[in-house]
Amino acid sequence: MILQSLKMAGKSIRANKPRALLTMLGIIIGVMSLVVLVSLVNGATSSVTNQIASMGNDMLTVSVSDDKGKPLKLSDLEQIAALESVTLAAPTTTASATAKQGADSYSVSVTGTTNAYFHIMKSELAKGRFLLDADQENNSRVVVLSYETADRIFGRSDVVGQTLKMDGVRYLIIGVLVEDTSLMSSFSQTYAVYVPYSVVERMSSGSGAGGMMQGGGSGSSSGISSFYAMASESSTIARAQIELTVEMLARFGNDEDAFSIRNQSSLSETLSSVTDTFALLLGGIAAISLVVGGIGIMNIMLVSVTERTREIGIRKAIGARKASITLQFLIEALVICLIGCFIGIVASGLVLMAVNLASGTSSYTFSGEILLIAVAFSTFIGIVFGLYPANKAARMRPIDALRYE
Amino acid sequence: MSAMLELVDVYKIYQVGDEEVRALNGVNLRVNEGDFVGIVGPSGSGKSTLMHILGCLDVADFGTYYLDGQPVEHFSANDLATIRNLRIGFVFQSFNLIGRMTIEENVELPLLYRRVKPAMRRALVDEALHQVGLYNRRKHTPSSVSGGQQQRAAIARAIVTNPSLILGDEPTGNLDSKTSAEIMEVFETLSSQGKTVVLITHDTQVASRARRIVHIMDGTVSEESIR
Ligand SMILES: Nc1ncnc2c1ncn2[C@@H]1O[C@H](COP(=O)(O)OP(=O)(O)O)[C@@H](O)[C@H]1O
Ligand SMILES: [Mg+2]
Repeated sequence: MILQSLKMAGKSIRANKPRALLTMLGIIIGVMSLVVLVSLVNGATSSVTNQIASMGNDMLTVSVSDDKGKPLKLSDLEQIAALESVTLAAPTTTASATAKQGADSYSVSVTGTTNAYFHIMKSELAKGRFLLDADQENNSRVVVLSYETADRIFGRSDVVGQTLKMDGVRYLIIGVLVEDTSLMSSFSQTYAVYVPYSVVERMSSGSGAGGMMQGGGSGSSSGISSFYAMASESSTIARAQIELTVEMLARFGNDEDAFSIRNQSSLSETLSSVTDTFALLLGGIAAISLVVGGIGIMNIMLVSVTERTREIGIRKAIGARKASITLQFLIEALVICLIGCFIGIVASGLVLMAVNLASGTSSYTFSGEILLIAVAFSTFIGIVFGLYPANKAARMRPIDALRYE
Repeated sequence: MSAMLELVDVYKIYQVGDEEVRALNGVNLRVNEGDFVGIVGPSGSGKSTLMHILGCLDVADFGTYYLDGQPVEHFSANDLATIRNLRIGFVFQSFNLIGRMTIEENVELPLLYRRVKPAMRRALVDEALHQVGLYNRRKHTPSSVSGGQQQRAAIARAIVTNPSLILGDEPTGNLDSKTSAEIMEVFETLSSQGKTVVLITHDTQVASRARRIVHIMDGTVSEESIR
């Protein structure tokens, strides 16, 4: 009976192809938005998660929102690094500046930091050297460039020994980091450069010659507003976090709100909750468009039932029971949904491949799970929105249906 | 002879606005097994209403319809569907074939609702098509053959399940006189094979082919003549 209903459904769909295709369009678009959006979000999520994981699980991010008139200095960070469970601490004061090279100017993101930063971030050098302690002491106008910055500004990475002019001041390029091959970096257009913390500090406090850099720290213009700390090898990240918290509480008069300390797992948790919300939101939008597609199917099935009233009458006269009629129209709705779903999945594959070609990286995660969800949801939509028209058909009285012109 | 169909004091009353239309007004009728009955009456006399009740497409408002000695009024819609499928073959004035399906698919339909196995279906469909002389047109759709051939297809569909009762509602109403005569010959052959045939018509010429003629007027069976 189901096989026969399938044949009948195929026949009546083929009898009016343009209409069937238009009906499917809602489902096709719904499935496409579901599969494409969720695959892209999943792709972005896993790339970010990988990046966080690659940074290691031994890093703490500390930010100070209220320094209580006792700004953190480099010497304070040395004390923190001397804690038993902490090996390194590096300031991460950021500012933006305009770099000039020939006639072109670029907006660069300047991080004022120390040698420890590169060890915490596990950076590697392509050329030259990192910032050294001597650079801090001398307020040396030296700069380390990310590979991308060097490549975009100079068109090559072999630029150690040259100078870069930022906000009108010349800096000697002492090092270039290795290329960042992660997906996020290919999307990001940031020009990252690293200068001694002492240089940024002097500029943002206004004493630097011609310095126009905008300090990144709020409310603590003359201190370190954020820094990274690395847990020592013999200790755990949790221990380091506790010890650091105690230290900071003591420094800021037991005010828990004056600062915050976050570890990698809390960072990736925040991030995954953001991407999960994002996936849910996009999935929700896709689900709504699928429901709209389902309403379209119900609409067409109702028209189809009315158009075929006489056929229903004939089928009933020759002995079709209610269940047979219900099954016939339900399967027709289901077949339309599933064909639409299949077309939508194939189209999604093509769209995602096109996105990959355009971005030059693998930017999506095409999971079997999402395909399963698409098929299950389409089936659900087909049944839910097919049931009412199918029941309407099954409930017709044979003589009324036969009389219908 | 046993009564195959028996109507006892059957009424069918329609309410049209505030007027009451007695489509069947106390009909008493007995049809024996193997009878060939023509029911004749003018338009609006209640013929189709009678046919719907005999064919279990509708039930009487009052009175009882016995099919093979069993009253049918308390059967559910699904039970009636099963009875129609197993015991009754319909032939309508407007053929009532499904246009999207080929002739052989139309003929096969009642067997599908009866869950007959595919090989058996093939054999029964071919046999019915041979019987009405339409085997070589089996792959055609209804609209691509003549009216007479469509009605032959409808008859094939009616007999493919080997029903004991064949009901025709003006089966020649849409056909010219030559084709009508051919279709009536098919019914005569079926009758001679022992089927019970009840034909409804307003054409006395057509009815004269039947062995027994029942006249209906204003919802009442008024007279019978037996040849
Ligand atoms: N569904 C209905 N509603 C109201 N009146 C009806 C209905 N069906 C039939 N009638 C009336 O019942 C009478 C008999 O109709 P019908 O059985 O179709 O006659 P015939 O087939 O002999 O032309 C007619 O007066 C017709 O108008
Ligand atoms: Mg009539």
